[in-house]
Amino acid sequence: MNQNATALIAEYWAVGLFVAAVVTLCVFMIGAASLLGGRSRGRSKSLPFESGIIGAGSARQRFSVKFYLVAMLFVIFDIEAVFLFAWSVAVREVGWSGFWGAAIFIFILLAGLVYDSRVGALDWAPKRRVRVDDSI
Amino acid sequence: MLTMTHLVALTPLILVCITAVAVMLGIAWQRHHAGTAIASAAGLNIALLSVLVIWQMGPVETPLLVIDGLALFAAILILISTLVCVTLAHAYLEKYPGPREEFYLLLLCAAAGGIVLAASRHLATLFFGLELLSMPLYGMLAYAFRERHSLEAGIKYLVLSAAATAFLLFGMALLYAQTGRLDLAGLAVALTEDPNAWALAGAGLMLVGLGFKLSIVPFHLWTPDVYEGGPGPAATFLASASKVAVFVVLLRLVLVAPAFQGDWLHGLLAVLAVVTMLVGNLLALAQSNLKRLLGYSSIAHFGYLMVALVIGDGLAVETVGVYLVTYLVTTLGAFGVVTLLSTPYSGEDAAALHHYRGLFWRRPYLTAVLTVSMLSLAGIPFTAGFIGKFYIIALGVEAERWWLVGGIIMGSAIGLFYYLRVMVTLFLVEPGMQRRDAPHDWGVRAGGVVVLGLALLVLLLGVYPSPMIEWVKLMAVAGS
Repeated sequence: MNQNATALIAEYWAVGLFVAAVVTLCVFMIGAASLLGGRSRGRSKSLPFESGIIGAGSARQRFSVKFYLVAMLFVIFDIEAVFLFAWSVAVREVGWSGFWGAAIFIFILLAGLVYDSRVGALDWAPKRRVRVDDSI
Repeated sequence: MLTMTHLVALTPLILVCITAVAVMLGIAWQRHHAGTAIASAAGLNIALLSVLVIWQMGPVETPLLVIDGLALFAAILILISTLVCVTLAHAYLEKYPGPREEFYLLLLCAAAGGIVLAASRHLATLFFGLELLSMPLYGMLAYAFRERHSLEAGIKYLVLSAAATAFLLFGMALLYAQTGRLDLAGLAVALTEDPNAWALAGAGLMLVGLGFKLSIVPFHLWTPDVYEGGPGPAATFLASASKVAVFVVLLRLVLVAPAFQGDWLHGLLAVLAVVTMLVGNLLALAQSNLKRLLGYSSIAHFGYLMVALVIGDGLAVETVGVYLVTYLVTTLGAFGVVTLLSTPYSGEDAAALHHYRGLFWRRPYLTAVLTVSMLSLAGIPFTAGFIGKFYIIALGVEAERWWLVGGIIMGSAIGLFYYLRVMVTLFLVEPGMQRRDAPHDWGVRAGGVVVLGLALLVLLLGVYPSPMIEWVKLMAVAGS
């Protein structure tokens, strides 16, 4: 075990040195700055500073939740294209079993698309939530 | 190449997936709550029957999945708990003001993920199964998103689970960098030849990821909040099927891959087990909310289960099987009662203990079910929990791991106090706040029948456990 540990240290000492150096550097930069730097307080000192201009408005802007929905749908169907691309490269090699696999894959995604359009996820306009609500 | 045998062996999984797609198309065609619930239950039942049929086939291996005794055993447990969740959800969501049908879709996807996870023999399927199990759970936990607590539970589980997944992936990457293999068998061979620090780090990081899902102690902080906030059926699924699937895959890793059997990691597992059972039980003492209490109690129970992982030979697989069966039946019973009391949905679940004060004088049979579940969780003789705990202690004594045995006994002693406190509350005379109550005809509805059946099963397994033990033995033989 002891032998083993020595071998390990011999092999990986550089990683340990790197970790130690990173920590030391961070501690040094923060510590030296806080020890050596001057400090001044004032009413406007704590305002966020952006190129000499006082920030305007809130950072918490509200986006329509539809943006996220569009992004998610895009990712889903984009990934579908990626998988189908992989299949198209190997279409001769994988033969019929590959074809049926791809067919099932496309069918499941098609079912998802039908579902999305029926529940109104593809209606971009914000006010059309009628279909979800009237079925309750 | 996939042959007919492979397809037959994968039937349960395929059936669950077909049910999920069919339910999705059904929702797109027409929204019908009862119809969706019945279709889901029918699909799950057929899948369960198919498991029983292919039980005789013996182990079948595809490049990514292995259908052996252990995988089928886990599949049965997952399917049964999903069925219970479907029946509970049907009553629970009846008055829910919003889309109700999607819950079953999420439930079915999560069940498919659990089955994949328990049958995985490749890191790709392990990851895929784990994600397919967790992703729908986010949606299920945040299903009643107009409730602050439910939304909080969903987001909390999402964020923390993503962090845990990052650990898991990094661990896998380290193992791959070290060995160039992703299948468990290949990993096992490569790591036996050349065990070193990176492999150990990879195994440790994977343990962090899986330990989070099982709420092993340093990674348990999400458990009580998520259990408390999630809607009843979702919390039931999280406490039963999800944990069973993850534990089975952890068992597979420990049994197959020697990276998880190094002395150092074994010691770590032992320490985690003792800490988990003690901390889980101690924190449960101060709870005044039944769902939080059950959350801490499940932490403690997985601490007990980890004893079997630490010992890892002899009767370990059989012990895990028996304990998982007893834990599952009991937990489903306890959560079933909580869900029934909160049925139909009207805001936050009735989980605070003062809702349960004097419940016996209003709902004697429901109280009996909860009492039996509590006794079983505490491990009192003549209930299923006793058999499980007996197995764990016997395993610990046989392997002469006295610290672990001591931890179990300490934990059980502490546990007895808070389980009995719940029971005392149930039988107190003065009526508490009767804000929420089960519907009057709960006993003849599907959810009520299931919960009563579970309570009878807890008693039956406690008095006459030999058929279950025989079955689990078969599983252990077929699995090794």
